[in-house]
Amino acid sequence: MIARITYAFREMWASFRRNLTLTIAAILTSAIALLLVGTTLLIQRAFDNLLVQWKGDVALIVFVRSDATPEQIALIDESIRSAPTIIDVDKLEYLDKTQTYEEAKRIFAGDPVTLSLLTPENIPSEFKVVPITQDPALVRSLSEQYRSLPGVEDVALAEDEFEVISTLSRFVRTVTLVMSLVLLFVAVGLIWNTIRTAMFARRREIEVMKLVGATNWFIRIPFMLEGLLQGLIGAVLSCGGLWVLNSAWTSGVAGFKPGTGISSLVVPSGYLSGVMIVILLIGALAGAIGSAIAASRFLDV
Amino acid sequence: MIRLENVTKRYGSETVAVRDASFDVAKGDFVFLVGPSGSGKSTILRLVNRQERPERGDVWVAGQNVNDIPDSRVPFLRRSMGNVFQDYKLLTGKTVFENIAFALEVIGKPRHVIARQVPIVLDLVGLAGKEDRFPHQLSGGEQQRVSIARAFVNRPLILLADEPTGNLDPATGEGIMSLLDEINQTGTTVMMATHDHRVVNAMRRRVIQLDRGVIVRDQERGVYE
Repeated sequence: MIARITYAFREMWASFRRNLTLTIAAILTSAIALLLVGTTLLIQRAFDNLLVQWKGDVALIVFVRSDATPEQIALIDESIRSAPTIIDVDKLEYLDKTQTYEEAKRIFAGDPVTLSLLTPENIPSEFKVVPITQDPALVRSLSEQYRSLPGVEDVALAEDEFEVISTLSRFVRTVTLVMSLVLLFVAVGLIWNTIRTAMFARRREIEVMKLVGATNWFIRIPFMLEGLLQGLIGAVLSCGGLWVLNSAWTSGVAGFKPGTGISSLVVPSGYLSGVMIVILLIGALAGAIGSAIAASRFLDV
Repeated sequence: MIRLENVTKRYGSETVAVRDASFDVAKGDFVFLVGPSGSGKSTILRLVNRQERPERGDVWVAGQNVNDIPDSRVPFLRRSMGNVFQDYKLLTGKTVFENIAFALEVIGKPRHVIARQVPIVLDLVGLAGKEDRFPHQLSGGEQQRVSIARAFVNRPLILLADEPTGNLDPATGEGIMSLLDEINQTGTTVMMATHDHRVVNAMRRRVIQLDRGVIVRDQERGVYE
């Protein structure tokens, strides 16, 4: 058993070094593809931070003063519900101070100055309003009504604040996703090709192995390990790249004026590690799949 | 040890390589398959080690119907037979020792077994002291000895040789033949395809003669004719 394992690893290394140019090409392609996959995930998460309070077709947020009395809050609730033809009453949601504070933690993730000014006591609570009507003018006139109610601090309209960002986010997500899928496909293809070339270069050896009774798995495993290693090295490189990109972005964003929204486009480090693990897995998988297909198809050389 | 029962093998729809061939080779026999190029000699060897499958009929090796062996078990069938070729099929990047060790390595033999077996077989084929040479540093006859050593190191039941003297001068070929004879003396069944009149006539062993895929003669202690 040990003899077989050392054999597999020794053969993998020998082949790895023999086809250095092709191997480097395969590694770099998978690194770039995986970097794009990771960037896609990070961008999505960053935009999600920004859009978290507008999830679920929320078009209007009524912020209630932190010192509002329960009567005032009840009145606001009542007047919002008084227009069931314009807004979706069932989807009306009220976030109390604690819930709003939790949300703020994500929105101001990259803006600790603003966040430190907020406490669960001084933060406004909020009503999230989902409209039924498609007419933005109607929603806007509604917002003017709410603004005049006692205890209302402010009314925010999605149209004003985040329509553009949400469209942009969808666009960026689609583009990066498509690009990373295409590149991932190319990476699998390149790994497949390096393994095929490696097997073709050693077809005589493989023929002899088959004739003396080596099993197909015995022949296949070093090649599969080689492909897996290529994918994995690509993934490690892309993790490094992702870390550098994210650090540069986070420190760049920190320079923006607080409260501009851009500062919430950051990703917590826990999420980054998660993305890195996903990338390592995808890399290993892509390498193993590419080389397994090649090793099975070209074993009859 | 080897039995063919009404075996027919065609390549494509036109070329008949072997037609309705039947014969039985007992354990420890030495058999020549003779005939001109394209008469089906090599195909029979390839049917025995299951590089090919018959279209009709059965091939039996060591009591097993080769046709019934699933693909995953074929490697184990092949471990019971050694193969020797006209062009040696040595790995040029490996030394003599490594070429022979390779055959044991790829069937998972541990290193200490390899270290013990290889020198014994090198001695047997008369190449002791040349273990660190590369194939291109050896003569044709010596290279063929390495390939025989590789085929025999696993002590197979059967040795299949396809024109092993085809690339060698008569004197060198004689040496190879006496080596194969020696291996046969240890109880290994040898089946050798050749169109070399001299070696067949000198050995006076069983001769199976093929002509365009058909067995036209099967004679004990035969000559080439």
